[in-house]
Amino acid sequence: MNLPDYNFLSAPLPLITLLHIFTFSLHLIAMNFMLGGVIIVLWGGFNNRWEDLTVQKFVKLFPTAMAATISLGIPPFLFLQLVYSKQVYAAAIMSGWFWLMIIPVLVVTYYCFYSVSFSQKTNKQYRRLLLWVVLLGLLYVSFIYSSIFSMAERPAFMKSLYTLHQSGVMLNTNFGDYLFRWGHMVFGAITIGGFFIGLVGRDNAQAFSVGKTFFLGGMIVTALLGTLYLFTLNEYWAVLMRRGTLYFLSLGIILSFSSLHFFFRKKFMISGTMVFASLITMVTTRHSLRLVRLAEDFDPSLIKIDPQWSIVFFFLFFFVLAIALIGYMLRLYFND
Amino acid sequence: MHYPFWDSSISYGLLMGCIAVLHVFISHFAIGGGLYLVWQETLARKSGDQQGLDFLERLSKFFVLLTLVMGALSGVGIWFIIGLINPAATEVLIHNFVWFWATEWTFFIIEITAAIIYFYGWKTLSAKNHIIVGWIYFASAWMSLFVINGIITFMLTPGDWLTTGNIWDAFFNPTFWPSLVFRTGMSVMLAGFYALLIASRYPAPDFDGFKERLVRKNALWGLTGLILLVPSFVWYWKAIPTEITTNALAMMKIPITSMHQGYWYAGAAALLLIVFGLILPRRCSTVVAVALMICGLMLFAKFEWFRESIRKPYAIGGYMFANAVEVAHTPTYQSEGYLKHMTFRTGDDGADLFRRACQSCHTMEGSRALKPVFDGTDKEFIAAIIKGVEALKGNMPPFYGTEEEARLLANYIYDKIDKRPLSEIYGLHGAPLGKKVFEVRCGKCHEMGGYNDKTASLIAIGETGYEEFIDTADDYGEAMPAFTGDEAEKEALIEFLKTLGHHP
Repeated sequence: MNLPDYNFLSAPLPLITLLHIFTFSLHLIAMNFMLGGVIIVLWGGFNNRWEDLTVQKFVKLFPTAMAATISLGIPPFLFLQLVYSKQVYAAAIMSGWFWLMIIPVLVVTYYCFYSVSFSQKTNKQYRRLLLWVVLLGLLYVSFIYSSIFSMAERPAFMKSLYTLHQSGVMLNTNFGDYLFRWGHMVFGAITIGGFFIGLVGRDNAQAFSVGKTFFLGGMIVTALLGTLYLFTLNEYWAVLMRRGTLYFLSLGIILSFSSLHFFFRKKFMISGTMVFASLITMVTTRHSLRLVRLAEDFDPSLIKIDPQWSIVFFFLFFFVLAIALIGYMLRLYFND
Repeated sequence: MHYPFWDSSISYGLLMGCIAVLHVFISHFAIGGGLYLVWQETLARKSGDQQGLDFLERLSKFFVLLTLVMGALSGVGIWFIIGLINPAATEVLIHNFVWFWATEWTFFIIEITAAIIYFYGWKTLSAKNHIIVGWIYFASAWMSLFVINGIITFMLTPGDWLTTGNIWDAFFNPTFWPSLVFRTGMSVMLAGFYALLIASRYPAPDFDGFKERLVRKNALWGLTGLILLVPSFVWYWKAIPTEITTNALAMMKIPITSMHQGYWYAGAAALLLIVFGLILPRRCSTVVAVALMICGLMLFAKFEWFRESIRKPYAIGGYMFANAVEVAHTPTYQSEGYLKHMTFRTGDDGADLFRRACQSCHTMEGSRALKPVFDGTDKEFIAAIIKGVEALKGNMPPFYGTEEEARLLANYIYDKIDKRPLSEIYGLHGAPLGKKVFEVRCGKCHEMGGYNDKTASLIAIGETGYEEFIDTADDYGEAMPAFTGDEAEKEALIEFLKTLGHHP
């Protein structure tokens, strides 16, 4: 039967990979603002926490950050599914109920954010309680993501696990594979949250100091956890380094620690650019690791390319239009 | 066949239905509500209607809290659930439509940004700029529908794409335009319904009949949308290839019943709108508004159920069956079987075949259970039904596995059913038992007074005739199974057949 084949990529793989890495980095920025922000608002050394202007600004911004996190999470997930659907769906099915639970957890989390945002600043216990609920929700989502996407890189493990359980209640039991990775991600969020607290509270000595503490402290712990994660990679570590990932990783670490220098001098534009660039290097490293781990079973470069250029340009046109319109609306909002 | 299966305790259809209906009910309001807000704001500002603007501000808070949270997240939920229950069909869609989805995302981010600025901008933006943001919101929300509509309709009517492989043929498929108009109508209708709900809870005192005017206006929005649904659905029905609609009318109860129930909900909604919206607007209480919301939800649910079920036996018309078997690969499966091509296996081949061939729609004992269908039968009968499954009423996907696989699957099902004879299970004897035997062994393909009814040819052919017919049943067609019941069942069946023609 001569029906159209669907095993193809509708654009060159490098373009898809580039879009995946770029949009995933943007997603991480928004997510880190939110997760790191919640942790710092709860634990930051603010004298009068709920009266503090920086905390108030953060609390107001949380729902918007959540909207940005969700919106910016869509394209990287789309491009990931496009290339690695067989691995990602299989892993999601293994943990079906945990995966699906992400949606109600996010709904509760999102409404808690709005409730905190609309609540009176005097309602301290209420705000604290809701932010705790939010924190638990976000940690659940991040943990399940780490579990499933790590499992997706282990096709043989998934097959053996499937012979035992088919009911969708299996977590990735290779905890060594991803606990450090998850910790690295959470502390990375605290690091970037610290950056944003410092940025938003730049004119307030105490808020800036809190931001500085979390930015610096978070970065040190993140680097430590990242190093420990690399040790868990065993045989993959050498393969990864042979691919030139070492240079990328080193660049990321240098950029991260250099951004501190500019942050302390309140040069946020340079510092922020360096943080974002380092994030891109980390996401790229993560991508290389995925390729290395899947190498025995799957090579995405072998997928047939059958470009749909007309729609790719369509997309690019509307992407530019979206950026222009969003910029225009923000200008209207802040100018009025 | 690269994916494992999720043995969910809740049926796939129910999970998908709950998430999808919730999503469409909110996301279409996100489109119609956007038009309602900016349209009414423009009118209110022109006429200096401050009370109207206050109401719109209140509505916009509800709008943002509902659409940005539940609307957006239930949309992500659809992505999650389709990947769990039919990853292969999702893969087909993503590979073909990835750039359409990416384009839809660009509208989505405009929409989200505009919604937030519109909501927070009531006090800070100038009237002119606030309205501009409102129109940007609506345009992007509708464009988002435009794009997604192409992907959804493709699944029912892939049209020329099946032969050309051209993605534009896939997108602008035969049901694209009628579905777009239908969904736009649904959006406008829901805007009126939601606005009525908020209006019914609006606490402001009713100076100079403001609330009455508001109820009338909202009812008109609801009616306008409802009226648009009628011709667009007729258009949609006519755009579906005739072989699909003919098949549905002949042998598929679910889509046709859903369609008829949809008419009733539409009628009930129209009645409520006319009586409590236009004639007695002061009586339009929260109870009435909630009743309207239920009618709207059920109407939409019935439409979606119709759309999903009329597609059977396919997940993607003519391309992939509902159980994710690719039409193009069926010759390979026929010669090599399913098991050889399954990446994930459990060691229990019968169970794996059940998951592959049946689980997308059926469970053994839960929703659309197979156990009661086969209770009291035997392995030979079950295997024969599996091999001729496409002849069953309900438009089932054929079984393309090998002879041996049909036997393995039959054994798996047989292990789970009640093995007592039908007389013992149902406590029946004589003609009533015969009727049950007919329902169980013949009624799957031949419905008395319904689909493929052959009873007219069996009237008064005599006891010998009945006996001969039963003994040679498998000679009457390739899909006809042999009669494998015991002597008592055979005698009871003859008793029952003798009664044919004696009843009106």
